Amino acid sequence: MKGQDQFVEEIYHFKGEWGIPSLCGLKIVKKNENAIILVTEFYDINPGTSITNWNTHLAHEICQKHRIDPNRMIFIERTPKTSSTLSFYQETFDRVTFAWDGESLTDPQWERISKAEVIKLMDK
Amino acid sequence: MKFKLIYPRWEKLVGQTIFNLPPHGPVVFAAALPDFVEIDFIDENVQPLDFEDPADFVGISMMLTIQLKRGWEIAHEYQKRGIKVIFGGIATMLHAEESLQHADSIFLGEVEGRLEQVFEDFKQNRLKKVYNYLNQEPLDVSIVGPARRDILTRELYFHKGVQMVDLFHASRGCRFNCYPCAVSFLGGRVFRPRPIEKSIEELETIENNRLFIVDNSLAQDTQWEKDLFKAMIPLKKNWCSHTIEDKPEVLDLAAQAGAWYVYQAIFDTSDYIRKRIQRYHDVGISVEGTILLGMDNQTEDDIKRLIDFLLEINLDLAEFTVLTPFPHTKAHDDLKKEHRIISNDWNDYNAGKVVFKPKHMSPERLQELYHYAWDSFYKDETQEQKMFGLIMKVIEKEMDDGTYQPRRRDLADKSFGRVIQR
Repeated sequence: MKGQDQFVEEIYHFKGEWGIPSLCGLKIVKKNENAIILVTEFYDINPGTSITNWNTHLAHEICQKHRIDPNRMIFIERTPKTSSTLSFYQETFDRVTFAWDGESLTDPQWERISKAEVIKLMDK
Repeated sequence: MKFKLIYPRWEKLVGQTIFNLPPHGPVVFAAALPDFVEIDFIDENVQPLDFEDPADFVGISMMLTIQLKRGWEIAHEYQKRGIKVIFGGIATMLHAEESLQHADSIFLGEVEGRLEQVFEDFKQNRLKKVYNYLNQEPLDVSIVGPARRDILTRELYFHKGVQMVDLFHASRGCRFNCYPCAVSFLGGRVFRPRPIEKSIEELETIENNRLFIVDNSLAQDTQWEKDLFKAMIPLKKNWCSHTIEDKPEVLDLAAQAGAWYVYQAIFDTSDYIRKRIQRYHDVGISVEGTILLGMDNQTEDDIKRLIDFLLEINLDLAEFTVLTPFPHTKAHDDLKKEHRIISNDWNDYNAGKVVFKPKHMSPERLQELYHYAWDSFYKDETQEQKMFGLIMKVIEKEMDDGTYQPRRRDLADKSFGRVIQR
C-alpha cells in the first residue's frame, strides 16, 4: 500500500459525500492539551471522497469518536508521494483551520507546512 | 407513460471543428428503462426542444459540467408547466448538491436494474428527492445490456453525408488515478470489464462500421484487452479509443481488430512518448494526442517546446485542453487548497477556458498559449483536413474489407441536420 508509513497508524474508514465508502490514513497524537490529527489521502485505494473534499465532516467525526475538543485540535492533511514523477504528486502537508460553532466545522482554510514542522508538532 | 429524455446543448469551443457524436449516456440509460415507459429523446445539440411537446415526466441527462446550467434552465421550464424532472448522468453525480436544488429528483449511480423503482414511485406520486446508489458497491456489469441506439434520430449525426462514429463501452471503473480525472470517483476504482460475449453481442447490433470505444482506458488488463480484440476481428469494425497498451502483441491484435486511431496523452517531449507514438504508427494505428496545458510542472517554454515536439513526431491529430479543476479530482483538491480557482461559473468549465491561476504564468498568458497551441499545430493543415485524411484511410480499409458504406448523398448538403450555408 502506497503512502503507508510513519504517519499512518490505522486505515480509517468513513462515509464520504452521499455515503460513499471512503478511507484514509489516520494518526492521532495527544500532546499537552492538544490533539494532532493527521489524515493521509490514499489516492490509489480510496474508493470514495477525498480527505480535502470532506475535511469538515471528517474532522468532526474523528473528534467525536476520539473525544477531542475541536478547539484543541490541530488538523493536518497529508498527500503522500506516489510513483508518479510529476511534481504535484510529491508529499505535501497542509494544516487546516476551521470555524467551529459548537455543532459543526465549516470554512476550511489550508496552510502548507513542511514535513519537519509536522514531525516537530507530533514529537512527544 | 411518456418520458422525455433531454441531453442539454452546450457551447462548443471557439475555432474548433464541430463533430456532434450521438451521445452514449442516454442510450445506455434507455436500455435500463422498464417496458411500460415510452421514451422520446431530444439531443439539444442537434435538434430544437419544444417545451409544449407532451410529456408526463422529464429526465435530463448531463455528461459535462458545461451542460449543467442549461440543464437546470430546462428543468425550471418544465417545472413551471407542472411536469416533474429528474437529473442523472456523470455531471449530475459530480455536482449533485447543486443539481438537487433545480430538480424534483436526482439519480446518482449506475442505472441497470434500478429504474423500475424510480418510475413506479413516479406513477404512485411518491418520487424521492434522491435516488442514491453511490453508497453501494458498483454493479456487476454483466447485467449491462445492449444500449438502445434506436432512440437516436440517425440523420442528425451526419456531416456532409458522412456518418459520425457510434459510441460503445466495454468496461466500467478505472484502476488508475490520473490528476485531472474523476472517473474513479464516478465508476469506482475497480476495473470492471463487461463479459466479452456481451460486448460482442452488442457490437453485432450496431450497423455503423465506425465506432468510438469510450472506456477511459482499455489498458487495464492485458489478457482481457487481447481477448476483446481477438473477438472483435471478425466484426470488421473500425474504431477509435482512449489509450490501449503498446505491447507488441496487444497492438498487433488491436490493429487486426480495426484500431483506427487512439487517443494518447502527451505530457512531455521524452523518447518514451516518441517511441510509443512510433509503435502505434508501425502497426498502422493513427494517434490523436491529448495535450493538457497549465500543469504545475509546465513553464511557457515547456508548452512551446511540447508543440514543436508534436509536429516532429507526426501526430495525426491533436486536442489541446487547459487543466480544469472538476470536482472530485486531485487537481480540484490542490487548486482549492491553494486558493487558485478563479471561476466557479460552470459554463466556463469547457476545458478551453482558464479557470485557475497557473503556477508559472498568468491565467491570461495560459489562455493565449492555449490558442497558440491550436493555431500552431493546425497551421499547415486544418483539423478538418487532417480528419479527412483519417477518413480516407478508413475508407480504404473498408473497401478492402468489403464493408464500405458510401456517404449519404441526400445528406451531403447538411451538417448535423442543418443545411450548410455556402
